[in-house]
Amino acid sequence: MEMIKKSRLHLPRVPARPGETPDFSYVQLSPAGAVPRPEVNSRARDMASLSVDLVRVLDDQGDAVGPWHPHLEAGELQVGLRHMLLTRMYDDRMQRMQRAGKISFYIRSLGEEAIGVAQGMALRPSDMLFPAYRQQGLQIVRGISLVDLMCQLLSNTKDMCKGRQLPVMYHSRANNIFSISGNLATQFPQAVGWAMAAAIKGEDDLAATWIGEGSSAEADFHHALLFAAVYQAPVILNVVNNQWAISTFQGYAGGEQRSFAARGPGYGMAGIRVDGNDFLAVYAVTQWAAERARTGGGPTLVELVTYRGAAHSTSDDPARYRAKDDAEHWPLGDPIQRLKQHLIKIGEWSDAQHQAMSAELEALVASSWKEAITFGTMTEGPRLNAALMFEDVFKTMPENLKRQQALSAAEQA
Amino acid sequence: MANMNMIQALNSAMDIMLGRDPAVVLMGEDIGYFGGVFRATEGLQRKYGEHRVIDSPIAEGGIIATALGMSVNGLRPVAEIQFADYIYPGFDQVVSELARIRYRSAGDFFAPVTIRTPCGGGIRGGQTHSQSPEAIFTHVSGIKVVMPSNPYDAKGLLITSIEDDDPVVFFEPKRLYNGPFDGDPNKPAVPWSTHPKGQVDEGYYNVPLGKADIVRPGADLTIIAYGTMVHVALAAAAALNMDAEIIDLRSLVPLDVDTICTSVKKTGRCVVAHEATRFSGFGAEVSSIIQEECFWSLEAPIQRVAGWDTPYPHAFEWEYFPGQARVTAALKAVMEPA
Amino acid sequence: MSQFTFKMPDLGEGTVDAEIVAWHTKPGDMVSEDQLIVEVMTDKAAVEVPAPVSGRVVSVSGSPGDKIAVGSPLIVFELTEASKPAAPPAPTAAPRTAAPAPAAAPAPAAAPAPAAAAAPASAAAPAAAPAAVQQAVAARPGRVMTSPANRRRASEAGIDLTTVTGSGPGGRILTADLGSAAPHRAAAATAAAADTTEIKVIGLRRLIAERMSEAKRNIPHFAYVEEVDVTELESLRMHLNHSRPPEAGSLSYLPLVVMALTRVLEAFPQCNVLYDAARGVLVRHRAVHVGIATQTPDGLKVPVVRNAQSLGLWEVAAEIRRLGERARTNKATREELAGSTITVTSLGKLGGIASTPIINAPEVAIIGLNKAVERPVVYQGAVAVRRIMNLSSSFDHRFVDGYDAAAMIQALKERLEHPATIFIPTVKSP
Repeated sequence: MEMIKKSRLHLPRVPARPGETPDFSYVQLSPAGAVPRPEVNSRARDMASLSVDLVRVLDDQGDAVGPWHPHLEAGELQVGLRHMLLTRMYDDRMQRMQRAGKISFYIRSLGEEAIGVAQGMALRPSDMLFPAYRQQGLQIVRGISLVDLMCQLLSNTKDMCKGRQLPVMYHSRANNIFSISGNLATQFPQAVGWAMAAAIKGEDDLAATWIGEGSSAEADFHHALLFAAVYQAPVILNVVNNQWAISTFQGYAGGEQRSFAARGPGYGMAGIRVDGNDFLAVYAVTQWAAERARTGGGPTLVELVTYRGAAHSTSDDPARYRAKDDAEHWPLGDPIQRLKQHLIKIGEWSDAQHQAMSAELEALVASSWKEAITFGTMTEGPRLNAALMFEDVFKTMPENLKRQQALSAAEQA
Repeated sequence: MANMNMIQALNSAMDIMLGRDPAVVLMGEDIGYFGGVFRATEGLQRKYGEHRVIDSPIAEGGIIATALGMSVNGLRPVAEIQFADYIYPGFDQVVSELARIRYRSAGDFFAPVTIRTPCGGGIRGGQTHSQSPEAIFTHVSGIKVVMPSNPYDAKGLLITSIEDDDPVVFFEPKRLYNGPFDGDPNKPAVPWSTHPKGQVDEGYYNVPLGKADIVRPGADLTIIAYGTMVHVALAAAAALNMDAEIIDLRSLVPLDVDTICTSVKKTGRCVVAHEATRFSGFGAEVSSIIQEECFWSLEAPIQRVAGWDTPYPHAFEWEYFPGQARVTAALKAVMEPA
Repeated sequence: MSQFTFKMPDLGEGTVDAEIVAWHTKPGDMVSEDQLIVEVMTDKAAVEVPAPVSGRVVSVSGSPGDKIAVGSPLIVFELTEASKPAAPPAPTAAPRTAAPAPAAAPAPAAAPAPAAAAAPASAAAPAAAPAAVQQAVAARPGRVMTSPANRRRASEAGIDLTTVTGSGPGGRILTADLGSAAPHRAAAATAAAADTTEIKVIGLRRLIAERMSEAKRNIPHFAYVEEVDVTELESLRMHLNHSRPPEAGSLSYLPLVVMALTRVLEAFPQCNVLYDAARGVLVRHRAVHVGIATQTPDGLKVPVVRNAQSLGLWEVAAEIRRLGERARTNKATREELAGSTITVTSLGKLGGIASTPIINAPEVAIIGLNKAVERPVVYQGAVAVRRIMNLSSSFDHRFVDGYDAAAMIQALKERLEHPATIFIPTVKSP
C-alpha cells in the first residue's frame, strides 16, 4: 500500500447516489443480545464500548434476547405497536392532505416510529420532552389527540400555536412537551438547562431531547453536551441518526470517522449506540438512561441508529439524491414489522388482530380529520382572527403593537 | 440610602432578588467564586450557595440556552455575558428562542431570563471589549432592551427586569460603573458618591421599563440619549449654556415614545445621541419615530450623534468616542435658525 | 489668492461677546467692502457689521442665537481679483463656475452655496452676488425650503409659502420671514390661528430677560415713592414750550428732571456709582451719564445722555429726543446705548401713581417718573388744585442706605418744586 505523502481534502464517502447500488456495509452492527448491560451507576469511562457497539434485543427471527431485554408485559407491547401504527397512518394521511393542498407542509417519521413511541413510553409523564420535528410518536404517546395535532397542521381556529408556526411544530405544556422550534438543535442545550433546574430544585424529573445527526454539527449540540457533562444534568440526549439530513449524508456531520454516540465519552458522559428500529432495545436503553439520570448518574448520549424511510419533508424528493431502492436494503428492517413479528412469535398478536387494528386506526384518522377541518383549513371554513398576530410577543402588549394591531384591522376592513 | 457605585447597585439588586425569590439563579463566566470580572456578583455565591450563583463554561450560547431551559422549568435565571462583545455566540438562542418562545407556543411557555452584559467603551478595551450592540437586539420582536445611566436606575431597572416575565437584555455601560463620565478622559474621574443618583435605597424598589427619565427639563431643544451619553450630553449642553431638555431613555424596548414626542413637540429641535455606531443605530429608529410623530413641530433637521461606523479602535478610543466635540457640533447644528 | 479672517470686533467698551442676530451673507457669496454682512447684538445694542474687505465668503461662524466671543473668527473671506464685477473670472476659478451663468448678470467666480445646490429649482443658477441670490430666491417656482414647523405655521396662518421671500441660508424661509408675511393675510390668519403661539425668547428679549432677572436676583432693591408738586414746574414747562427755539421739539418733564438730577447728584455722589462686582469696588463718577429707559418695538432699550451735567436744558431735551428716535429705529450705536451711571424711567401718560423700577445694573439707582395729574391738596393752609407727580425710585440697598436714598429724593423734590433751583449749581460745603 502506498503511503500518503501529503494532505488532501477528504470528502466523506456517500454509499449510494441515484443509479448506484445501495451499500450499508458502513453500518457497524452487533448481534442481538451481544452487548453487555452495565449497571446504571457505572462510570462513563468504564463503558466506552457502548458508544461503538449497537445495542439490539430483537433478533432476525423476532426473539428478544440478551441483557437489554426489558421484559415488558404483552399489553404494553401491544400499546407500543398501536402507537407506532397510528403514527404511521397519521403520517400517511397528512402527507396526502399536503399533496391535496389542505396543509402547507408535512414531515413524516416513516421507519423511525419506534424512537418517539418507545422512548415516550419509557419515560414518566412528568419528564420534560424537547423534541425535534420527527418525533410525532411522542405526541401520540403523551395522548395529544389527533384532532389537536391536525388543527396545528391546519393553522385553524383550534390551532394550539394560534397560527404562528409551521406545521408539525407542536407543543403541549399540559403534557410536558416543549415547543418545537423550527431552528435546528436549539432545543438540545435548552433541555440541559431544564434538567439543571430540576437538579437545582432537587426534583427527580428529567429532560429528554432529540436531534438529527445532521444538526448535531451545530454548536448548540456541543454546548448541550458540555453543560450536561459539567453539571451532570439529569438529561437524555438523543441523536437520531437516520443517515440523511435532506440530501446530506451523515458522513458530513462527522459520522464517518466516529459514531455519534462516541461524542458522549469524549465529554465524559455515557454514550450508547442503539438499534433505533428495535422497539425493545430503544425502550431498554431509554429506561436505563432515565434511571441513571434520576439516581445522580448524570446525562446519557444515545445514538439511535435508524433510516429515514421517506423524504425529509413534503418539499424534497429523495430519488434525486439517494438510490431509489435504498430503504429496502436498510439492514435494521422496519420497526413496526419487527415488533409485530415478535408479538406474534410470543403468541400475543395475530395478522387478523393487526388488520383489525389497522382498520380501526384508519377510521380514527379519517374521523379526526373530518372533525379537525370543521375548525377551518387554510382555504375554507372559519379562520383565526388576524389580530391574534400581535398577541404573545410580550406578556403585556406594548403601545407600538397595539397601534399596529389597530392599523392591521383597518387594513383588512 | 447609601452611597453606591453602579456595580454595588447591581450587586444589591441581585442580592435582594436572590433573597426574595428562590427561583432566581445567577449564571455566567467567573461570576461565582470570583464575583465577576467587574465584581458585580461579589459575595453572592458565599451568601446564597453554589447552586444559586453558578460559574459557567465559556460558552455564551450554552449559557443563554440553558438559562432558557431553566426558565421553562420555573427558575428566573440572570445570565451574565462577560462583555457584550461576547454575546454573539448566543445570538441565535436570543433571537430564535428567547424572543420567540412565548409567541410560538401561544403563551403556553415563556422565558423570564435576564441577560446582563457590560457594554460600551472608554476603558481601553479595543474592538472586542467596547461594543454597544443594543440596536441589534431592539430589532428583534420579543426582547426587552434596557440600559441604565446611573446606580439608582441600574438597581431599580435590574430588579424590574428580573421580575419581568419576558426576556430582557440588560446592558451596563461599563465606563459608568465607577462614576458619571462626561466624555472627557483627561478630567479626573468623578465618583458616584458626588452624584445624586449615586444615593441608592438599600432595599427593594422598582424602576419601570418603558419609562424615560427627563434628566434635565429645558425649552430650547431635546437631547435623547441613554447610557454614557446622558452624561456627555448634560456636560455639552451646559458648556454651551443651552436650555436643553435631556431625556434618558433607560429602556429602548419598550420605548417611551410619549415622553420623546411631548418634548420634541415642545422644543422643535432634537439631537439623538448614542455611543454605538451610527448606521442603523438606535438613533435611526428614534429619529424616524420623531419624524413620523413630530414632523410639523420640527424647526430643524434631527441630528444624530454616534460612534463612527468602524469597529472600536484600541489606539483611537477617544477619537472614536462621541465626546463633547461631536455633541457640541450637533447641538450647534440643530440650533440653526428656522 | 489669499484668505482673510475677520474676527468678532470689540463693539463696545469691554464687550466679551456678541449674539448673532442675522447673517446677510453665506459661504459662496461675493461681498464688497462695507456691504452689510451680519447683524449682531451685544449686551446693549444691535449692531450691523459691514464687510471689512471685498471677496468671496468662505465660511461664517455661528447662527442666530449663537454668541461669538470677541476675537474669535466671525467670517472668512477669500480675496480674489475676480471680486470686482467688471473683471473677467480668473482662469483658475473657471472650472467651478462652468455652469451656465444667468443671462442678466455676469457670473463672478463663486461656487454655488451647498444649500442652494440642494434645491432643484436653483441648482441651475450658480449663486452669484447677493442681489442675484435674492432675485433667484424670490423667483424660484414651486419648491419652498423651510422647516416643517414653519410649513405648519404658514398653513395655520393661511400664508402661501411660495410668495414668501426667505432670508435664511440658501433662501430658506425663516420663522421671522413668516412674521412679516402674516399681516397681509390677516383675514385668513384669524380664521385658522392656533389657540397659542410660541415665541422663542431670543435676541434683545432674551437679553432683557437675563438682565432683568439678574438685577432683581442680585440687588436688594430699596423702593421709595414721594409726591412732588410740579405745578410750578408745569408753568415753567408751558412757558418754555411757548418760547422754545424753532428747531426744538416740545418739552416734556423728562429733560427738566434730568437737569435737576444732575444738580442733586453733586451732593449725593454715592448714587452716581457703578458697582464692579468682579473687583468688589464702587466706582463713583464725576460725570453724570443719564440712561433714558425707552420703549421700542423690539423691547426696552436705554440710550444714554452723556455728560448731562454739562448740558443745557435744550441740549438735554434734544439729546433725549434724538437718542429715543435712534433706539426706536434700531439705529443707536453701541456707544449710545452704553455707559450710563444712573437711569431715569418714565412711562409718560401711562405712568400710574407708583411703580417699582428695576435698577439698571451695575448702576445703584433708578428714578421713575409717574403721571403728573391735578389733584386737590392742602396748599398753604387751604385745599387747592395742584399738579402732582410721584417719583418712584429704587436704590441698591447694599450701597445706598435708606436714609441717603430718601434724602436724595427729597433734594430732587425740592428742586422740582422750586424750578429755578434746577438751574443753580449745588452750593458745596466748604
